Amino acid sequence: MLQPHSLLWHYLWIGPHILQVALAVFLWRRGMHKRFPVFFAYLIFEAIEEFTLYGMDLLPWVSVRTWWLTFCVGLVPEGFIRIGVIAELSFHLLRSRSAVAKAGSLLITGTGAILVLLAAVAAAYAPIDNPQYALASRAYILQQTLYMIECGLILFLFLFTACFKLSWDRTTLGIGLGRGISSSVHLATWAVIANGGLANRRYLLDFLNVATYHLCVLIWFYYLLVPQKIATTSAVSLPENNLDIWNRELERLLHQ
Amino acid sequence: MNLAIVIVIAAALALGIILRLAVTQSLQAKRSTNLVGAIRPIDVEAFRNLINPAEDEYLRCRLPANRFREVRRQRLRAMAAYVHVAGSNAAVLVRVGEAALASGDARIAGAAQQLVNDALLLRRNTTVALARIYLALAWPNSGFAAVRVIERYEQVSGTAMLLGRLQNPAVPVRLSARL
Repeated sequence: MLQPHSLLWHYLWIGPHILQVALAVFLWRRGMHKRFPVFFAYLIFEAIEEFTLYGMDLLPWVSVRTWWLTFCVGLVPEGFIRIGVIAELSFHLLRSRSAVAKAGSLLITGTGAILVLLAAVAAAYAPIDNPQYALASRAYILQQTLYMIECGLILFLFLFTACFKLSWDRTTLGIGLGRGISSSVHLATWAVIANGGLANRRYLLDFLNVATYHLCVLIWFYYLLVPQKIATTSAVSLPENNLDIWNRELERLLHQ
Repeated sequence: MNLAIVIVIAAALALGIILRLAVTQSLQAKRSTNLVGAIRPIDVEAFRNLINPAEDEYLRCRLPANRFREVRRQRLRAMAAYVHVAGSNAAVLVRVGEAALASGDARIAGAAQQLVNDALLLRRNTTVALARIYLALAWPNSGFAAVRVIERYEQVSGTAMLLGRLQNPAVPVRLSARL
Protein backbone atom coordinates (compact mmCIF):
# COMPACT_ATOMS: atom_id res chain seq x y z
CA MET A 1 0.00 0.00 0.00
CA LEU A 2 2.78 2.42 0.88
CA GLN A 3 4.37 1.97 -2.52
CA PRO A 4 4.73 4.47 -5.35
CA HIS A 5 1.83 4.28 -7.83
CA SER A 6 -0.40 2.42 -5.38
CA LEU A 7 -4.01 3.55 -5.07
CA LEU A 8 -3.22 5.40 -1.86
CA TRP A 9 -0.29 7.11 -3.56
CA HIS A 10 -2.53 8.32 -6.40
CA TYR A 11 -5.20 9.49 -3.97
CA LEU A 12 -2.82 11.35 -1.67
CA TRP A 13 -1.11 13.08 -4.56
CA ILE A 14 -4.22 14.27 -6.36
CA GLY A 15 -6.99 14.12 -3.72
CA PRO A 16 -5.94 17.13 -1.60
CA HIS A 17 -5.65 19.28 -4.72
CA ILE A 18 -9.14 18.37 -5.88
CA LEU A 19 -10.30 19.31 -2.38
CA GLN A 20 -8.44 22.60 -2.51
CA VAL A 21 -10.10 23.49 -5.82
CA ALA A 22 -13.43 22.81 -4.12
CA LEU A 23 -12.29 25.01 -1.22
CA ALA A 24 -11.37 27.78 -3.67
CA VAL A 25 -14.86 27.54 -5.21
CA PHE A 26 -16.47 27.80 -1.75
CA LEU A 27 -14.27 30.79 -0.88
CA TRP A 28 -15.25 32.47 -4.14
CA ARG A 29 -18.96 31.87 -3.54
CA ARG A 30 -18.72 33.30 -0.03
CA GLY A 31 -16.72 36.31 -1.21
CA MET A 32 -13.77 35.35 0.99
CA HIS A 33 -11.37 35.58 -1.94
CA LYS A 34 -11.57 39.38 -1.54
CA ARG A 35 -10.33 39.16 2.05
CA PHE A 36 -7.60 36.61 1.32
CA PRO A 37 -6.67 37.12 -2.35
CA VAL A 38 -3.14 35.71 -2.01
CA PHE A 39 -4.31 32.56 -0.23
CA PHE A 40 -7.00 32.16 -2.88
CA ALA A 41 -4.35 32.52 -5.61
CA TYR A 42 -2.21 29.98 -3.73
CA LEU A 43 -5.02 27.40 -3.72
CA ILE A 44 -5.56 27.79 -7.46
CA PHE A 45 -1.88 27.89 -8.42
CA GLU A 46 -0.90 24.92 -6.25
CA ALA A 47 -3.75 22.83 -7.67
CA ILE A 48 -2.85 23.66 -11.30
CA GLU A 49 0.82 22.97 -10.62
CA GLU A 50 0.16 19.59 -9.00
CA PHE A 51 -2.37 18.52 -11.68
CA THR A 52 0.28 19.33 -14.29
CA LEU A 53 3.00 17.39 -12.46
CA TYR A 54 0.67 14.46 -11.83
CA GLY A 55 -0.34 14.34 -15.50
CA MET A 56 3.28 14.53 -16.60
CA ASP A 57 4.17 11.72 -14.20
CA LEU A 58 1.55 9.47 -15.79
CA LEU A 59 2.37 10.28 -19.41
CA PRO A 60 5.03 7.81 -20.62
CA TRP A 61 6.56 10.15 -23.22
CA VAL A 62 7.47 12.85 -20.65
CA SER A 63 11.13 12.41 -19.71
CA VAL A 64 12.38 12.48 -16.13
CA ARG A 65 14.45 15.56 -16.91
CA THR A 66 11.40 17.44 -18.29
CA TRP A 67 9.41 16.48 -15.20
CA TRP A 68 12.06 17.81 -12.82
CA LEU A 69 12.53 20.93 -14.92
CA THR A 70 8.79 21.65 -14.72
CA PHE A 71 8.92 20.97 -10.98
CA CYS A 72 11.76 23.49 -10.52
CA VAL A 73 10.11 26.12 -12.73
CA GLY A 74 6.86 25.80 -10.75
CA LEU A 75 8.67 26.09 -7.43
CA VAL A 76 9.79 29.68 -7.96
CA PRO A 77 6.35 31.34 -8.31
CA GLU A 78 4.96 28.92 -5.73
CA GLY A 79 7.61 30.05 -3.25
CA PHE A 80 6.73 33.70 -3.84
CA ILE A 81 3.01 32.99 -3.40
CA ARG A 82 3.65 31.08 -0.16
CA ILE A 83 5.65 34.00 1.22
CA GLY A 84 2.82 36.24 0.01
CA VAL A 85 0.36 34.20 2.08
CA ILE A 86 2.47 34.92 5.19
CA ALA A 87 2.52 38.63 4.27
CA GLU A 88 -1.26 38.47 3.99
CA LEU A 89 -1.56 36.82 7.42
CA SER A 90 0.68 39.46 9.01
CA PHE A 91 -1.34 42.21 7.33
CA HIS A 92 -4.54 40.83 8.86
CA LEU A 93 -2.89 40.46 12.27
CA LEU A 94 -1.30 43.90 12.41
CA ARG A 95 -3.57 46.25 10.46
CA SER A 96 -5.88 47.08 13.38
CA ARG A 97 -3.05 47.13 15.94
CA SER A 98 -1.29 50.36 15.06
CA ALA A 99 0.71 50.26 18.31
CA VAL A 100 2.72 47.25 17.20
CA ALA A 101 2.20 47.36 13.42
CA LYS A 102 5.46 49.17 12.65
CA ALA A 103 7.54 47.14 15.09
CA GLY A 104 5.89 43.95 13.82
CA SER A 105 6.61 44.75 10.18
CA LEU A 106 10.22 45.61 10.98
CA LEU A 107 10.71 42.41 12.97
CA ILE A 108 9.12 40.25 10.26
CA THR A 109 11.37 41.83 7.62
CA GLY A 110 14.42 41.33 9.83
CA THR A 111 13.47 37.72 10.58
CA GLY A 112 12.93 37.10 6.86
CA ALA A 113 16.40 38.47 6.06
CA ILE A 114 18.04 36.26 8.71
CA LEU A 115 16.12 33.22 7.45
CA VAL A 116 17.20 33.86 3.85
CA LEU A 117 20.79 33.96 5.07
CA LEU A 118 20.43 30.74 7.08
CA ALA A 119 18.64 28.99 4.23
CA ALA A 120 21.42 30.03 1.82
CA VAL A 121 24.06 28.63 4.19
CA ALA A 122 22.10 25.36 4.56
CA ALA A 123 21.72 25.15 0.77
CA ALA A 124 25.45 25.69 0.29
CA TYR A 125 26.21 22.73 2.56
CA ALA A 126 23.71 20.36 0.91
CA PRO A 127 25.43 17.83 -1.35
CA ILE A 128 24.88 17.30 -5.10
CA ASP A 129 26.52 13.89 -5.23
CA ASN A 130 25.39 12.42 -8.49
CA PRO A 131 25.72 14.75 -11.53
CA GLN A 132 23.17 12.56 -13.34
CA TYR A 133 20.48 13.67 -10.88
CA ALA A 134 21.80 17.20 -10.39
CA LEU A 135 18.49 18.75 -11.43
CA ALA A 136 16.55 16.68 -8.88
CA SER A 137 19.10 17.52 -6.18
CA ARG A 138 18.76 21.22 -6.93
CA ALA A 139 14.98 20.89 -6.71
CA TYR A 140 15.31 19.24 -3.27
CA ILE A 141 17.63 22.02 -2.08
CA LEU A 142 15.29 24.70 -3.44
CA GLN A 143 12.40 23.08 -1.55
CA GLN A 144 14.45 22.94 1.65
CA THR A 145 15.36 26.63 1.23
CA LEU A 146 11.79 27.80 0.61
CA TYR A 147 10.33 25.74 3.47
CA MET A 148 13.02 26.95 5.87
CA ILE A 149 12.10 30.57 5.16
CA GLU A 150 8.36 29.88 5.29
CA CYS A 151 8.48 27.79 8.46
CA GLY A 152 10.64 30.37 10.22
CA LEU A 153 8.33 33.23 9.27
CA ILE A 154 5.19 31.40 10.40
CA LEU A 155 6.84 30.40 13.66
CA PHE A 156 7.80 34.05 14.15
CA LEU A 157 4.20 35.17 13.52
CA PHE A 158 2.88 32.73 16.14
CA LEU A 159 5.54 33.77 18.68
CA PHE A 160 4.98 37.47 18.03
CA THR A 161 1.22 37.22 18.52
CA ALA A 162 1.71 35.08 21.63
CA CYS A 163 4.15 37.61 23.09
CA PHE A 164 1.67 40.47 22.63
CA LYS A 165 -1.38 38.26 23.36
CA LEU A 166 -2.93 39.23 20.05
CA SER A 167 -5.92 37.19 19.01
CA TRP A 168 -6.16 35.53 15.59
CA ASP A 169 -9.51 35.47 13.88
CA ARG A 170 -10.69 32.00 12.95
CA THR A 171 -9.85 32.20 9.24
CA THR A 172 -6.38 33.64 9.79
CA LEU A 173 -5.63 31.05 12.47
CA GLY A 174 -6.76 28.23 10.17
CA ILE A 175 -4.59 29.39 7.29
CA GLY A 176 -1.62 29.99 9.60
CA LEU A 177 -1.99 26.62 11.31
CA GLY A 178 -2.28 24.77 8.01
CA ARG A 179 0.74 26.50 6.50
CA GLY A 180 2.65 26.05 9.79
CA ILE A 181 2.08 22.28 9.90
CA SER A 182 2.75 21.90 6.20
CA SER A 183 5.95 23.97 6.19
CA SER A 184 7.49 22.37 9.28
CA VAL A 185 6.82 18.77 8.17
CA HIS A 186 7.92 19.52 4.59
CA LEU A 187 11.04 21.29 5.85
CA ALA A 188 12.04 18.17 7.78
CA THR A 189 11.36 15.76 4.91
CA TRP A 190 13.00 17.90 2.21
CA ALA A 191 16.03 18.45 4.45
CA VAL A 192 16.43 14.66 4.80
CA ILE A 193 15.98 14.15 1.04
CA ALA A 194 18.26 17.08 0.08
CA ASN A 195 21.01 15.77 2.34
CA GLY A 196 20.85 12.26 0.95
CA GLY A 197 19.01 10.54 3.80
CA LEU A 198 16.74 7.49 3.43
CA ALA A 199 17.90 7.01 -0.14
CA ASN A 200 16.16 3.63 -0.55
CA ARG A 201 12.96 4.56 1.22
CA ARG A 202 12.45 8.05 -0.08
CA TYR A 203 8.90 7.22 -1.14
CA LEU A 204 7.99 7.04 2.58
CA LEU A 205 8.91 10.70 2.91
CA ASP A 206 6.80 11.45 -0.17
CA PHE A 207 3.89 9.72 1.53
CA LEU A 208 4.46 11.76 4.68
CA ASN A 209 4.52 14.96 2.61
CA VAL A 210 1.30 14.31 0.73
CA ALA A 211 -0.52 12.96 3.81
CA THR A 212 0.47 16.08 5.77
CA TYR A 213 -0.74 18.30 2.95
CA HIS A 214 -4.04 16.42 2.90
CA LEU A 215 -4.41 17.07 6.63
CA CYS A 216 -3.70 20.77 6.07
CA VAL A 217 -6.37 21.05 3.38
CA LEU A 218 -8.87 19.47 5.80
CA ILE A 219 -7.80 21.98 8.47
CA TRP A 220 -8.50 24.81 6.01
CA PHE A 221 -11.91 23.34 5.24
CA TYR A 222 -12.72 23.25 8.95
CA TYR A 223 -11.48 26.73 9.82
CA LEU A 224 -12.65 28.50 6.68
CA LEU A 225 -16.03 26.89 6.08
CA VAL A 226 -17.39 25.57 9.38
CA PRO A 227 -19.11 28.51 11.08
CA GLN A 228 -17.62 29.69 14.34
CA LYS A 229 -19.70 29.33 17.46
CA ILE A 230 -20.41 32.83 18.67
CA ALA A 231 -18.41 33.12 21.86
CA THR A 232 -19.82 35.15 24.71
CA THR A 233 -17.37 37.97 25.04
CA SER A 234 -16.61 39.91 28.16
CA ALA A 235 -18.10 42.96 26.47
CA VAL A 236 -21.57 41.56 27.03
CA SER A 237 -21.07 39.05 29.81
CA LEU A 238 -19.71 41.26 32.56
CA PRO A 239 -21.89 40.76 35.62
CA GLU A 240 -23.14 44.00 37.08
CA ASN A 241 -20.76 44.05 39.99
CA ASN A 242 -17.71 43.12 37.91
CA LEU A 243 -17.15 46.64 36.74
CA ASP A 244 -17.12 47.79 40.33
CA ILE A 245 -14.36 45.34 41.18
CA TRP A 246 -12.51 46.44 38.07
CA ASN A 247 -12.74 50.09 39.03
CA ARG A 248 -11.75 49.42 42.62
CA GLU A 249 -8.61 47.58 41.50
CA LEU A 250 -7.63 50.28 39.03
CA GLU A 251 -8.49 53.10 41.44
CA ARG A 252 -6.25 51.50 44.02
CA LEU A 253 -3.55 51.26 41.39
CA LEU A 254 -3.84 54.90 40.35
CA HIS A 255 -3.96 56.45 43.80
CA GLN A 256 -1.62 54.32 45.86
CA MET B 1 23.52 14.36 7.07
CA ASN B 2 24.37 16.24 10.30
CA LEU B 3 22.79 19.32 8.79
CA ALA B 4 19.64 17.33 8.01
CA ILE B 5 19.43 16.14 11.62
CA VAL B 6 19.74 19.72 12.89
CA ILE B 7 17.03 20.92 10.47
CA VAL B 8 14.72 18.01 11.36
CA ILE B 9 15.05 18.78 15.09
CA ALA B 10 14.44 22.50 14.42
CA ALA B 11 11.39 21.68 12.28
CA ALA B 12 9.98 19.34 14.96
CA LEU B 13 10.43 22.07 17.58
CA ALA B 14 8.76 24.62 15.29
CA LEU B 15 5.84 22.25 14.70
CA GLY B 16 5.43 21.65 18.44
CA ILE B 17 5.48 25.38 19.21
CA ILE B 18 3.04 26.23 16.40
CA LEU B 19 0.59 23.50 17.47
CA ARG B 20 0.80 24.53 21.11
CA LEU B 21 0.27 28.21 20.36
CA ALA B 22 -2.59 27.48 17.96
CA VAL B 23 -4.35 25.33 20.57
CA THR B 24 -3.78 28.01 23.23
CA GLN B 25 -5.19 30.60 20.85
CA SER B 26 -8.32 28.50 20.17
CA LEU B 27 -8.87 27.91 23.88
CA GLN B 28 -8.39 31.61 24.63
CA ALA B 29 -11.10 32.49 22.14
CA LYS B 30 -13.48 30.17 23.97
CA ARG B 31 -12.58 31.34 27.47
CA SER B 32 -12.76 35.09 27.19
CA THR B 33 -14.90 35.45 30.28
CA ASN B 34 -13.67 36.49 33.71
CA LEU B 35 -10.62 38.20 32.27
CA VAL B 36 -10.90 41.05 34.73
CA GLY B 37 -10.20 38.67 37.59
CA ALA B 38 -6.78 38.04 36.11
CA ILE B 39 -5.69 41.65 36.68
CA ARG B 40 -3.21 42.00 39.54
CA PRO B 41 -2.98 45.42 41.17
CA ILE B 42 0.39 47.15 41.22
CA ASP B 43 1.75 49.54 43.81
CA VAL B 44 2.86 52.27 41.44
CA GLU B 45 4.41 54.42 44.16
CA ALA B 46 6.60 51.57 45.33
CA PHE B 47 7.64 51.00 41.74
CA ARG B 48 8.34 54.72 41.25
CA ASN B 49 10.51 54.62 44.32
CA LEU B 50 12.37 51.60 42.97
CA ILE B 51 13.24 53.27 39.69
CA ASN B 52 14.01 56.70 41.14
CA PRO B 53 17.58 57.58 40.07
CA ALA B 54 17.96 59.81 43.14
CA GLU B 55 17.43 56.77 45.38
CA ASP B 56 20.13 54.94 43.48
CA GLU B 57 22.49 57.87 43.80
CA TYR B 58 21.81 58.08 47.51
CA LEU B 59 22.55 54.37 47.94
CA ARG B 60 25.67 54.65 45.79
CA CYS B 61 27.03 57.45 48.03
CA ARG B 62 26.15 55.73 51.29
CA LEU B 63 27.17 52.14 50.63
CA PRO B 64 30.49 50.48 49.80
CA ALA B 65 30.73 49.48 46.12
CA ASN B 66 30.17 45.74 46.60
CA ARG B 67 27.27 46.30 48.99
CA PHE B 68 25.76 48.81 46.56
CA ARG B 69 25.89 46.27 43.71
CA GLU B 70 24.16 43.71 45.93
CA VAL B 71 21.38 46.12 46.92
CA ARG B 72 21.06 47.39 43.36
CA ARG B 73 20.60 43.83 42.10
CA GLN B 74 17.88 43.20 44.70
CA ARG B 75 16.13 46.39 43.62
CA LEU B 76 16.43 45.38 39.96
CA ARG B 77 14.89 41.97 40.70
CA ALA B 78 12.00 43.65 42.48
CA MET B 79 11.67 46.03 39.54
CA ALA B 80 11.53 43.09 37.13
CA ALA B 81 8.75 41.52 39.18
CA TYR B 82 6.71 44.74 38.99
CA VAL B 83 7.29 45.17 35.24
CA HIS B 84 6.38 41.53 34.69
CA VAL B 85 3.03 42.04 36.44
CA ALA B 86 2.43 45.26 34.48
CA GLY B 87 3.08 43.30 31.26
CA SER B 88 0.70 40.52 32.32
CA ASN B 89 -1.98 43.09 33.12
CA ALA B 90 -1.43 44.70 29.72
CA ALA B 91 -1.91 41.30 28.08
CA VAL B 92 -5.22 40.85 29.91
CA LEU B 93 -6.29 44.35 28.87
CA VAL B 94 -5.46 43.55 25.23
CA ARG B 95 -7.81 40.59 25.43
CA VAL B 96 -10.52 42.59 27.22
CA GLY B 97 -10.25 45.30 24.56
CA GLU B 98 -10.32 42.83 21.69
CA ALA B 99 -13.37 41.11 23.16
CA ALA B 100 -15.11 44.50 23.36
CA LEU B 101 -14.17 45.40 19.78
CA ALA B 102 -16.99 43.22 18.52
CA SER B 103 -19.49 45.53 20.18
CA GLY B 104 -22.03 47.13 17.86
CA ASP B 105 -21.79 50.40 19.78
CA ALA B 106 -19.37 52.74 18.01
CA ARG B 107 -18.32 54.47 21.26
CA ILE B 108 -17.49 51.16 22.96
CA ALA B 109 -15.64 49.94 19.88
CA GLY B 110 -13.67 53.20 19.78
CA ALA B 111 -12.75 52.97 23.47
CA ALA B 112 -11.87 49.30 23.03
CA GLN B 113 -9.57 50.12 20.09
CA GLN B 114 -7.87 52.79 22.20
CA LEU B 115 -7.46 50.34 25.08
CA VAL B 116 -5.96 47.69 22.78
CA ASN B 117 -3.45 50.17 21.35
CA ASP B 118 -2.46 51.56 24.75
CA ALA B 119 -2.14 48.08 26.24
CA LEU B 120 -0.04 46.90 23.28
CA LEU B 121 2.27 49.88 23.72
CA LEU B 122 2.58 49.05 27.39
CA ARG B 123 3.29 45.43 26.53
CA ARG B 124 6.00 46.54 24.13
CA ASN B 125 7.49 48.89 26.71
CA THR B 126 7.50 46.22 29.41
CA THR B 127 9.29 43.82 27.06
CA VAL B 128 11.98 46.42 26.39
CA ALA B 129 12.13 47.40 30.06
CA LEU B 130 12.59 43.77 31.14
CA ALA B 131 15.42 43.34 28.66
CA ARG B 132 17.09 46.44 30.07
CA ILE B 133 16.57 45.30 33.66
CA TYR B 134 18.20 41.96 32.94
CA LEU B 135 21.08 43.76 31.25
CA ALA B 136 21.38 46.05 34.25
CA LEU B 137 21.52 42.97 36.49
CA ALA B 138 24.75 42.05 34.75
CA TRP B 139 26.09 45.61 35.11
CA PRO B 140 24.47 47.01 38.26
CA ASN B 141 26.41 50.30 38.04
CA SER B 142 24.77 51.26 34.75
CA GLY B 143 21.94 53.81 34.67
CA PHE B 144 18.39 52.72 34.03
CA ALA B 145 15.10 54.39 33.24
CA ALA B 146 11.72 52.65 33.29
CA VAL B 147 9.63 55.74 33.84
CA ARG B 148 7.82 55.28 30.50
CA VAL B 149 6.40 51.98 31.76
CA ILE B 150 4.64 53.73 34.65
CA GLU B 151 3.33 56.53 32.45
CA ARG B 152 2.00 54.04 29.94
CA TYR B 153 0.47 51.93 32.70
CA GLU B 154 -1.46 54.88 34.04
CA GLN B 155 -2.65 55.80 30.56
CA VAL B 156 -3.85 52.22 29.95
CA SER B 157 -5.66 52.15 33.29
CA GLY B 158 -7.49 55.35 32.36
CA THR B 159 -8.55 53.93 28.99
CA ALA B 160 -9.70 50.71 30.62
CA MET B 161 -11.92 52.64 33.01
CA LEU B 162 -13.38 54.64 30.11
CA LEU B 163 -14.20 51.39 28.31
CA GLY B 164 -15.75 50.00 31.50
CA ARG B 165 -17.97 53.05 31.83
CA LEU B 166 -19.09 52.81 28.22
CA GLN B 167 -19.79 49.09 28.48
CA ASN B 168 -21.92 49.33 31.55
CA PRO B 169 -23.20 52.84 32.18
CA ALA B 170 -25.97 51.54 34.47
CA VAL B 171 -23.51 50.71 37.17
CA PRO B 172 -22.35 53.74 39.14
CA VAL B 173 -18.76 54.31 38.19
CA ARG B 174 -16.60 55.37 41.06
CA LEU B 175 -13.64 56.55 39.09
CA SER B 176 -12.49 58.51 42.05
CA ALA B 177 -14.25 60.55 44.67
CA ARG B 178 -11.31 62.88 44.69
CA LEU B 179 -11.34 63.68 40.99
